[in-house]
Amino acid sequence: MFDHFWTKAAAGCLVAVSLLLTGCGAGSRTAANTATEVACDFTNPPEPVTVNVLAYNSSAVDPFTNTMVASCSHDNVTLEHDPIDFAGQVQKTTATLSGDSGTYDIIESYSFVIPQYGSEGKLEPLDPYIEEFGDKYGLDAINQEMLDSLSYEGKVYGLPMQAQMLVLAYREDVFDELGLQPPTTFAELREVSQAIQDAGEIQYPLALPWLSSSDIGTAYKAALGSQGVDYVDPDTREPLFTSEESRTALEEMKSLVPYMDPQVTTFDQPKVQQQLFNGDAAMGIMFSGRMVDLTKDTNTEHAGDFAFAAPPAVLEGGRQYGALSVDGWSIPVNTQVDKRLLFELIAASVGEDASRASIPAAYPAREGLVTEENSPYATAANEAIQNVPEPAPFPWVAKMSSGTSEVVAQVVTGAIPVEEGQRQMQEIGEQVMAEQG
Amino acid sequence: MSTLTTADSGTARPLDAAAEVVARRLPRGRRRTTAAVLGGLFLAATCVIMFAPFLWTIMASTKTTREAFANPPVFLYEPTATAFVDLWQTTDFYLYLINTLVVAVITTVVALLVGLPCAYALSRFPGYVSAGLLILALVFRALPRFAVVLPMYDISRALGVYDTTYALAAALIAINQPFTIWLLRNFFAEIPRELDEAAMVDGCTRLQMLRKVMIPLMGPGILTAGIFTFLFGFQEYLTAAILTDTTSKTVPVFIATQLGQTLPMLQQAAAATVLLTIPVIGIAFVAQKYLVAGLNSGAVKG
Amino acid sequence: MRRREFVALTLPSVLVMFGFMLVPLYRTVEWSFERVSYGQAGTFVGLQNYLAALTEPRFGRAVVFTVGLTLVVTVVTICLGYLIATLVNGLGRMRPLVLGILLVSYVIPHVVGAVSFSWLFDSNFGGVANFLLGRLTGGDVLWFTDLWPNRLIIALNVIWSMLPFVMLMILAGLQGVSRETLEAAQIDGAGTLGRHWHVIIPSIRGVLGFAVLISTMDVLRTFDNLIPLAPQAVGLGNESIMLYIYNVAFREGAEDLGLGSAISVLTILIILVLLYPSIRSILKEAKEA
Repeated sequence: MFDHFWTKAAAGCLVAVSLLLTGCGAGSRTAANTATEVACDFTNPPEPVTVNVLAYNSSAVDPFTNTMVASCSHDNVTLEHDPIDFAGQVQKTTATLSGDSGTYDIIESYSFVIPQYGSEGKLEPLDPYIEEFGDKYGLDAINQEMLDSLSYEGKVYGLPMQAQMLVLAYREDVFDELGLQPPTTFAELREVSQAIQDAGEIQYPLALPWLSSSDIGTAYKAALGSQGVDYVDPDTREPLFTSEESRTALEEMKSLVPYMDPQVTTFDQPKVQQQLFNGDAAMGIMFSGRMVDLTKDTNTEHAGDFAFAAPPAVLEGGRQYGALSVDGWSIPVNTQVDKRLLFELIAASVGEDASRASIPAAYPAREGLVTEENSPYATAANEAIQNVPEPAPFPWVAKMSSGTSEVVAQVVTGAIPVEEGQRQMQEIGEQVMAEQG
Repeated sequence: MSTLTTADSGTARPLDAAAEVVARRLPRGRRRTTAAVLGGLFLAATCVIMFAPFLWTIMASTKTTREAFANPPVFLYEPTATAFVDLWQTTDFYLYLINTLVVAVITTVVALLVGLPCAYALSRFPGYVSAGLLILALVFRALPRFAVVLPMYDISRALGVYDTTYALAAALIAINQPFTIWLLRNFFAEIPRELDEAAMVDGCTRLQMLRKVMIPLMGPGILTAGIFTFLFGFQEYLTAAILTDTTSKTVPVFIATQLGQTLPMLQQAAAATVLLTIPVIGIAFVAQKYLVAGLNSGAVKG
Repeated sequence: MRRREFVALTLPSVLVMFGFMLVPLYRTVEWSFERVSYGQAGTFVGLQNYLAALTEPRFGRAVVFTVGLTLVVTVVTICLGYLIATLVNGLGRMRPLVLGILLVSYVIPHVVGAVSFSWLFDSNFGGVANFLLGRLTGGDVLWFTDLWPNRLIIALNVIWSMLPFVMLMILAGLQGVSRETLEAAQIDGAGTLGRHWHVIIPSIRGVLGFAVLISTMDVLRTFDNLIPLAPQAVGLGNESIMLYIYNVAFREGAEDLGLGSAISVLTILIILVLLYPSIRSILKEAKEA
């Protein structure tokens, strides 16, 4: 009897699934809520082409991706984009760029990795296309500095869509209640954290993306940059991990640990968001593209309570604990699709209408679009962008960061002493430089 | 038959010794009842613990986005299907689901077609050649997956079959072939050889005999092997993650790339987990009898 | 059976196995002596990759971790599996339901199950287990960054996903134990424990051996489970051999295929040593037949 029942149940499930398949318009809505309809008038290719787009999902990148996919899929061109997280994008980028052919025809790239891929010759230089299509897509309105951020040795390897800078998000209600001001230095950051901790409601007031396998590398670099130095002395090509600044960076990062969840070295940006959504933390420093999620009341009951400021400086008088990352579109050298066509697709997605529509989720690369009226964190972002550390467009930067991140995590959590960590990082750094040749 | 039922079977003893038995047994019977209750409680607790992770995922997928991953956790809520609807409409989830099914079905059918004759031959042709093949199968079964999958990645890219369902299915057929023939061989070993001979005397060729006599007898064995192979194909993550990319991506791979997403999409990952798992749980409920019977009649004698 | 028939019947399967397993395996062995990346011809470097693997403490740690995990998980799953199988075997009408529920963790893909599992222990995703533990003990356990708590949830998760299959095999074995033997033992006055120890376990020894074999092979291959459960695997030393190969040969920017292949080959050697008893018993069987 039992068997009979389960057979029927299974049959029922099958019917339900097939009904769902046919009835509910599966895959019909291409994230329409963030796609803008823009003109995408490429020269129609003679044969049908499928263009695979690799771009991680976040509120700031989605508008550009979705606009491109929705507006440019017509005639003989079909764009495909599968949702993927940031770690997935990093891994797939490495995979698709190795070898003679790859799966993806358009990839999302950012200033951090451009020098490496540019120097390895894996991305197509875009200058001739910018020349050819500049007028048609109004590319001269794109901020020159951002264009430079996606260039290496004078060639442009990525068409900028937006800038992302580290921004401090904090709970205004908590700050007001305790009479606190957003911190401008790490010393103040410790003070306000202590005050919030002492108030007793929130045990770990600060949340930072310090994932040991990646994000903490960016954090360490930001702490170095705040003191005006980088991984490597650009003149002597000597790694600077044993320098006084490196020591300060590590010590200062370590000093924040008592105010953060003990498992902070497993936090990527989405987990920091979770901490803020859940009210477990009252402050977080993340890239600006993650900020708009905090203001949506579908995500959190605290949506109305967040305010934004430029991140603090590590030491008083220094630059911010900041980072500017420019996101853009790149074309892999090994794609089989016509590169002129691909360029038209990416150019259309960063056009004025699309860029305007991406606000407030993004800080688009076009001049003067973000104002206090249209973006809740505009002031913080504009201020942050003025005062970020110098860009460091060197091909070793990404490898330095990924090579040393685990050591930084071990130092910060106290697993190994600072000197020992510095020594290990120096060793890794010298090896990376030796491979540069 | 076991601790729990023997307490009952004690009451069915012959009547002539009943009085004596009752007098002697009562305290012991009570002890057994306590054991039965404890056993039942333990089993119930095990069921709850084993089901808890999936239950929590079901709850996360049917809450509002705000409540889904709230801390402290929300236990009472009004269910909503938004996450499922969004998953269905904004992603190509149905394609991944179809890919997963296609891969699992191809794997099952081909693995059985290829494995049946081999398993039959192994069961009827004892000696060092068969033993050698079985040892090889055992070693293949135990190989670290990467030792074969990374070269497959390289080869499939060179041959231009990377990211296709059939390449993935081919890889899975090969990887699971050892288990398939091992399982089926033990089923064949249960069937007496005299049957083969009788059929051969009647003028059947080996293949005809295999098709007309053996396969019908092997019904439960084939079903068991089929279910296991299907589950292997349906669940496989590592091989699929390395051999597929966009067009033939399977659901486990899709879910694994959603772990670092932010809220609305993260909740959709929970919904995807539920949608992927419900059908196989259905299979588990329907197929359990065959799994136990199948394993009983041969598989575990190896 | 004639030799020609044997060859004809086994050929398709042998071709599939050799074609799809031996050819890639050969490539792995070849790579292990080369400095190579995907899609390109490698350069021969002799034993350099093996030396690198053997002198790298990370490899030693991965081996110790994986073997330790295998031992613990196998022992626990066999014991628990036996206990649960015995209890399930005694069930009447509830049996299909209980068995169905117990099979859930087996049919869920490992990586997906591990994700669900990790959510129970991560307060950022609700963390029910943390919540309940906190209520009971008032304490907080760092499941993902402390060495032993992390090992505990990894082991629990692997047990969770392996247990149903082992239990199923033992259950099948229990059904093969003859009623007469059991009743004879009962009349002899054997107690419950004695009956299990002296009668049931010896008569399903073959099944238990097979369960140990399968579980050893599968736990040695642990990989999927660690992706959500051990974000700090490298730093803590909770990296399995398979995860180590993946990190070296596929993920960590460098894609050091040569080193990854060398580790694969070394792992195969370890596995062959572990499989030696089973191989010997198959050969013995062949000799007797």
